[in-house]
Amino acid sequence: MATMTTTPTTTTAQPPTRRQTAERAMPTVAPPVDIFETDKAYVLLADMPGVRPDGLDVLAERDELVIRGRVERPAIAPAYQEFELADYHRAFTLTEDLDTAGITAALKDGLLRVEIPKSPRVQPKKIPVRTE
Amino acid sequence: MNGQAMWNPWREMQRLQRDMEHVFGEAVPAARWSLTGEYPPLNLTRDDKGITLEALCPGVDRPSLDISVVGDAVTIRGERKAELDAAEERYSRRERPLGTFTRTVGVGEQLDPDRTQATYSNGILRVQLARAPEAAPKKIPIQS
Repeated sequence: MATMTTTPTTTTAQPPTRRQTAERAMPTVAPPVDIFETDKAYVLLADMPGVRPDGLDVLAERDELVIRGRVERPAIAPAYQEFELADYHRAFTLTEDLDTAGITAALKDGLLRVEIPKSPRVQPKKIPVRTE
Repeated sequence: MNGQAMWNPWREMQRLQRDMEHVFGEAVPAARWSLTGEYPPLNLTRDDKGITLEALCPGVDRPSLDISVVGDAVTIRGERKAELDAAEERYSRRERPLGTFTRTVGVGEQLDPDRTQATYSNGILRVQLARAPEAAPKKIPIQS
């Protein structure tokens, strides 16, 4: 069994990345994502714990999809700490066969789900088979 | 990628990716990380009222969440499930660890299980723990 009775330790803290050193006042991390394909859409899932719906931005402009989330940091430092909330940012390039106007996003329990519909022309359709 | 590595979201998440990434056209994804090791990461605060344990665990299937308190130990269980419409062969990125997790921690103070409260919001599980009433000294009569 792990114990948490010891005094605060720094062993769980990760060394800051270069970026965070430069932006110490506002740390930002890239959320881990899953991307999978269905017949009609690409689905992007991102773990963004600590983000409330009003702190979330999903932007699709031209060929770029940007996800951003703001978190509120706790007022008091924990006595024992394994994680520290940080704002989220990650950007993706979209290719032309996606319908950016039809993008939808939902945030539930810190999990963001973005659906990017495929353009109708790339959705599966019945292909007539020619016999020779 | 070492599939046996302890899951540490910050190792992944602190890896800033400002460069543009492509949604598809990736190589075959590596095997998904499993929730082995110490998951979820925890923060603990203490005050006069009690002890608050916060667990960073987004996207957990709510019915699977289970918290138990015994003595000074708190156990958190839950499961992160794959989306229903996700077929295994149609992933182009798999960075989120899925699976069941169990973590037990001792907080170093005797707890009152009956006064435990928990909330789960925005992917953070917050468990309010109450200290057990201190055992009152018992006066032992001396028989003559």
